[in-house]
Amino acid sequence: MKAIIGASALIAAFLALPISAHAQSEVVVWVAGEPGQTTVYDDLAAAFNAQNAATTVTVVKNSSDLFNPALIPALSAGEGPDLFSFGTGPGQPAALIAGGLVADLTDAYFEHGWGATIPAGIVAQTSSDGKLWAFGNEVETTGMFYNKAIFSDHGIEVPTSWAEMEVVVSKLQQAGFDTPIGLGAADKWPISHWQSMMFGRYAGPEGIESVLFGDGAWTDAPFVAASAKLQEMGKAGWFGPTPVAIGYGELMDRFWAGEVPMTFTGPWVIGGGTEATGDRIGEFGVFAVPPIEDEQKIHPTNSIGSGWYIRESSENKEAAIDFLNFMFTSTEGRVALLNAGTVPVGPLDTALAEAKMPVLAVDIWKASDDHAANGSVPAFLDTITPGSLTTVSYDGLQALLLDVMTAEEFAAEMQNAWVAAKEAGEIMLPGGIAER
Amino acid sequence: MFSYPDSKWAQRLNPVLFLLPALTIYAVFALYPTYSVIEYSFTDWDGIRPERNFVGLENYQRLFTDKIFWEAFRNTFIWSGVIIVINVGLGLVIAAMLARVWKARLLIQTCIVLPVVISPMAVATIWRWMYQPAGVINQVLENIGLGALATPWLGSPDAVLYALALAHSWSTIGLSVIIFLAGLQAVDEDLYEAARVDGANPFQAFRFVTLPALRPVTAVVFILTLTQSFKVFDIVWATTQGGPIRFSEILSTYMYKRGALENQYGYGSAIGVALLVIVSIATILYMQIQNREDR
Repeated sequence: MKAIIGASALIAAFLALPISAHAQSEVVVWVAGEPGQTTVYDDLAAAFNAQNAATTVTVVKNSSDLFNPALIPALSAGEGPDLFSFGTGPGQPAALIAGGLVADLTDAYFEHGWGATIPAGIVAQTSSDGKLWAFGNEVETTGMFYNKAIFSDHGIEVPTSWAEMEVVVSKLQQAGFDTPIGLGAADKWPISHWQSMMFGRYAGPEGIESVLFGDGAWTDAPFVAASAKLQEMGKAGWFGPTPVAIGYGELMDRFWAGEVPMTFTGPWVIGGGTEATGDRIGEFGVFAVPPIEDEQKIHPTNSIGSGWYIRESSENKEAAIDFLNFMFTSTEGRVALLNAGTVPVGPLDTALAEAKMPVLAVDIWKASDDHAANGSVPAFLDTITPGSLTTVSYDGLQALLLDVMTAEEFAAEMQNAWVAAKEAGEIMLPGGIAER
Repeated sequence: MFSYPDSKWAQRLNPVLFLLPALTIYAVFALYPTYSVIEYSFTDWDGIRPERNFVGLENYQRLFTDKIFWEAFRNTFIWSGVIIVINVGLGLVIAAMLARVWKARLLIQTCIVLPVVISPMAVATIWRWMYQPAGVINQVLENIGLGALATPWLGSPDAVLYALALAHSWSTIGLSVIIFLAGLQAVDEDLYEAARVDGANPFQAFRFVTLPALRPVTAVVFILTLTQSFKVFDIVWATTQGGPIRFSEILSTYMYKRGALENQYGYGSAIGVALLVIVSIATILYMQIQNREDR
């Protein structure tokens, strides 16, 4: 009899195992980013898993270069991540949406009150046809990182006008710095940060929007003028004698080592910089690039870094939404993001009170906030325009720096690619979702 | 006890049965993907939407008018030419010299072969670092009095393709050397002895004994080098992504950009098929020339 009871208990235990395994949801999350830049998502997953016994979140990271080429075949095969970060704006997710690969998040938006967190402007960039496709999670910005010690040693003040900026560059060149502003243009994409900022300065937020959502063209005068100015700065040696020969990683190593006094980049470098410099991180600061022409204003470069999408065929949509809520709407998640230098969208009062943001992150956001009233422009045009335009822009920006293409030719190539993408249906119409 | 079937059918079937596992793997992992690429090349598939529309030869017609394709085509030929000269030409010379070296031969051989086992991404990282304007290569040139030759290797439109081809050869020449060495060991020593008796100097012995004897081995190395160089992707992508501008754009990186980054899988597949055809034609031509010379 004992043997029968024992055997029955064993069988019951064996049968129970798969049941409990099925009850456990596993949410696979794919994040694009370089090593060291996305560790906050590991921490968030660990904290979430500790609080949610029924769900296990696994974060998989892949370098930015290889992320999309790995993601798209996976999604097309009905596999891949349950939750993933991907580009937004009018030019990036149109094909994913049209292909039915991403889930409609409109119900979740209303059910979880995301409207209190996600500003309408960001909803507009992540929606189409009245449906929300992505949770626009974090705000990114860019600014001029500089070495305070070098500035101090050479009697240089932070510039507040373009004339002062020219003096800064000139003094640094005279002091023997052959690269006053590091660019890392061998990797192509860092130049697009300059492009986005300068297009914004010359065209303003309305000018950019008129192209993205209206009848404006990349060949309009402000974009040509911005491209010509960038080329002129390159010719004058602002970015060093050979900016397209130096990679971004090598440039940042030289910047943190004090060999390059300035570089225009974003808060994602702060984690790596703190690791590289330790206590010396206090020697670095951030300022807003002054207006380039007399009539210009400083338009802060603000973009949502990316949006978070849920795979349409995922069996763990609800668990994925729970994790999204934990990351971006719970105070715990928002504080963790802020501590890592990442600024989540929406009101920050509660989270900021608890957060200990890196000083450089505070500096860059202060530089941005000081000019917020002027209206902001996208920080990364390359993440909101189609891949075909990005290829043309990247090559064209290198061509400008090598002085083998004119600003007019560059603008014309961009416009041709933009028109072709529009004709191919790769550009989404302005978004927004109706209130319920 | 197992008895070996002796019927004619069984004897014909046996080789097929033995080959079947390998053929199955080859069919699943090589033939089917190749067939798929050819099939996609006749469609407008974007890699995302489930539907694929047949567009006939449209993608191939586009190749003929696509100036970037032809830039990449030209670059690929220069790239392969440089690599073939180094891996076949220099590889043969190194192997011939190594065959005559006894002291420290194993050490030298190991040094030459070692880069072959390094991951291509690691190779790219090493050379990317060495090719920086203030990198090791330029520093060495400065220190030996050849500072005039120092250049921003990865940013120079004139130098970048050759610089990357050299880096690729560094990581692959070891394989050529090993194959040539194996071939050299099979050359009958009596032939060298006869050449010496006839008054041949070492260069003449190399020209009239070694080279003809190594003809089949050279064909293998040539074809291996050619196919490898045409399909190279990682070292170029990890160092320059085809830049500056498109000066190091080769067909494989261009195929990746169009197919994977711009979601034009149909067109990207057409570029892939073009690459396949070019390599096949080059290989067949070389084999025919070899066969004609052998006759």
